[in-house]
Amino acid sequence: MAKKRKHSETVVAAPQKKEEVAPERPKRTLLGWKDKEAAAVAAPAEDKDDEVHQPTNFRNKEKVLVTCSRRIAYRYRHLMLNVVSLLPHCKKDNKVESQSSKGVALSEMVELKSCSSCLFFECRKHKDLYLWMAKCPSGPSVKFLVNAVHTMEELKLTGNHLKGSRPLLTFSANFDKDAHWKLLKEMITQIFGVPKEHRKSKPYHDHVFVFSIVDDHIWFRNYQISVPHNESDKMARGGLDKMTLVEVGPRFCLNPIKIFGGSFGGPTLYENPFYISPNQIRALEKRKTAGKYAKKVKAKTRRKVHELSNQLEAGEFSEMWKDQ
Amino acid sequence: MGTPKVEFDAEDVEPMEDEVDGEFTDSDSDSGEEDIQKLTNPSKDAVYNRDGMNDKLQEISWPENLGWLHKLSLDINQEQDVDVNDDLAREMAFYTQALEGTRRAFEKFETMGLPFLRPPDYYAEMVKSDTHMQKVKSRLLAEKRNMEEAEERRKARESKKLSKEVQAQKQKERATQKKSEIEAVKKWRKQRQQNGFPAPGGKKNGDEIDLDFGDGVKPFAKSNKQRPGVSPGDRSGGKGRMKSWKGTGKPDKKIVKRDRKDSKFGYGGRKGMKKQNTADTTDDFRGFRKTGGDGGNKKRRKQ
Repeated sequence: MAKKRKHSETVVAAPQKKEEVAPERPKRTLLGWKDKEAAAVAAPAEDKDDEVHQPTNFRNKEKVLVTCSRRIAYRYRHLMLNVVSLLPHCKKDNKVESQSSKGVALSEMVELKSCSSCLFFECRKHKDLYLWMAKCPSGPSVKFLVNAVHTMEELKLTGNHLKGSRPLLTFSANFDKDAHWKLLKEMITQIFGVPKEHRKSKPYHDHVFVFSIVDDHIWFRNYQISVPHNESDKMARGGLDKMTLVEVGPRFCLNPIKIFGGSFGGPTLYENPFYISPNQIRALEKRKTAGKYAKKVKAKTRRKVHELSNQLEAGEFSEMWKDQ
Repeated sequence: MGTPKVEFDAEDVEPMEDEVDGEFTDSDSDSGEEDIQKLTNPSKDAVYNRDGMNDKLQEISWPENLGWLHKLSLDINQEQDVDVNDDLAREMAFYTQALEGTRRAFEKFETMGLPFLRPPDYYAEMVKSDTHMQKVKSRLLAEKRNMEEAEERRKARESKKLSKEVQAQKQKERATQKKSEIEAVKKWRKQRQQNGFPAPGGKKNGDEIDLDFGDGVKPFAKSNKQRPGVSPGDRSGGKGRMKSWKGTGKPDKKIVKRDRKDSKFGYGGRKGMKKQNTADTTDDFRGFRKTGGDGGNKKRRKQ
């Protein structure tokens, strides 16, 4: 009860603080912003009810639960840890046993941790990584197949940025072309966007996320915005031209498989027609190499039959050595 | 709704060509005829519940007129279609998208008067640790060094090829120059003779020119000055090994060592001063006393 009261207090205080044009900057400390409102983050995530008609009362109370399945490979575990470090509004949880009823179990866990969405990294056969992105109480959920994983630890990705600073999200224009892309865009914005004035967020914007649809896959990149030092003090036009981007990582590529109406289950809203499961691909490849011997035998018999049917003419010298 | 209806005809279905890098290859690029058949079948019964999706979208989305500051999302138009398998082009496309996004965001932030970039004196926890960044730096430096070394090696190789030619050319040049100088001098001399300049006195040969420079040194005469410490019979002119110490300062360390070793081991070595008949030894009767010291205790010896 006490929590709820505190929450409503901040709602009342919010309209005075929030101005669209130039909000008064809260005091800046090393750990984030000292803000009266930041104390109210522990409230349960029923933000749908608190959304008032004036958007000035809106407060992004998004919390993401990040978990993985057991027997996850090291590369994917590092990817998960990288995602945890990128999102200050997430909670990392223990490994989840993969059961048949994992959907229900996961939804319960998310409720328990009072989170509003979930990123679940599921690794199957120690080879394939599937990412579930779900909005929890009743929201849609998506299952992706993850490819081309490069973690932040790779030495070729040389950039670095503040831990917990709010990213700029850039989407390619083809996200607006179709309904399922629009839905995915909204989910990504809510999950990967760090809430404004989050307790653990840092003030400046020094990195950019790129979500781009190429060949029906969503590609993710994370770049650091770097400007030569003498320019960053004055935010002059000159600095704009000399701005360069250095890749921080991680990198991955998402292939949407299905979109469900409920969280981790429910009616299928979308199925990707081009998706072929990695098991099927491996089976196809094996089948190709499997028939080698059979094909050889077949080719031999074919040749024999062909020779029998089309006899060669006897050459000039075939009779020469017959007597000897 | 303005969105066009998606049609899943057999002709529109193309085999997916995914990227090849990373551990995973969803590679249907090797799909032959069989794969296309496989693809068309599921595509016909793929679920596409557009209304359902739009409903869900309405449910979850944030209010319409929310300030941009909450979302911080930008939509960038991509000019061309990028081929997935061309890594460089793909990454360039992503890079330009990000760059365009940051430019627009920067402008927005400027108009709003909010801080955008991190000032250089703001230190806080970064997403990669300092030790990791050290590794990155050392790797970059090592790469740079390797490249520079390779460049240097290449240049050395090239210059070696050239240097022989250059050397030959230079030699030729020098030879020609020398010749021409000598010729010039000869000409000059002849001219002088022709013009009837008096030959320098005391010289029988009229070709000898008086090259007196005025400091008492005759150019082609042998100098009388002796090099210090050199004996007149020394054919090396004083630069050979000095056996005597009367010369200049300390002798070479090597010479000292050599002399020492020669005396010790050379030509049979040093004659040890083992036994000698000298005045002292003839008068020494230590070994001839009967029962002098210990009364027959031979173990106790004079030490």
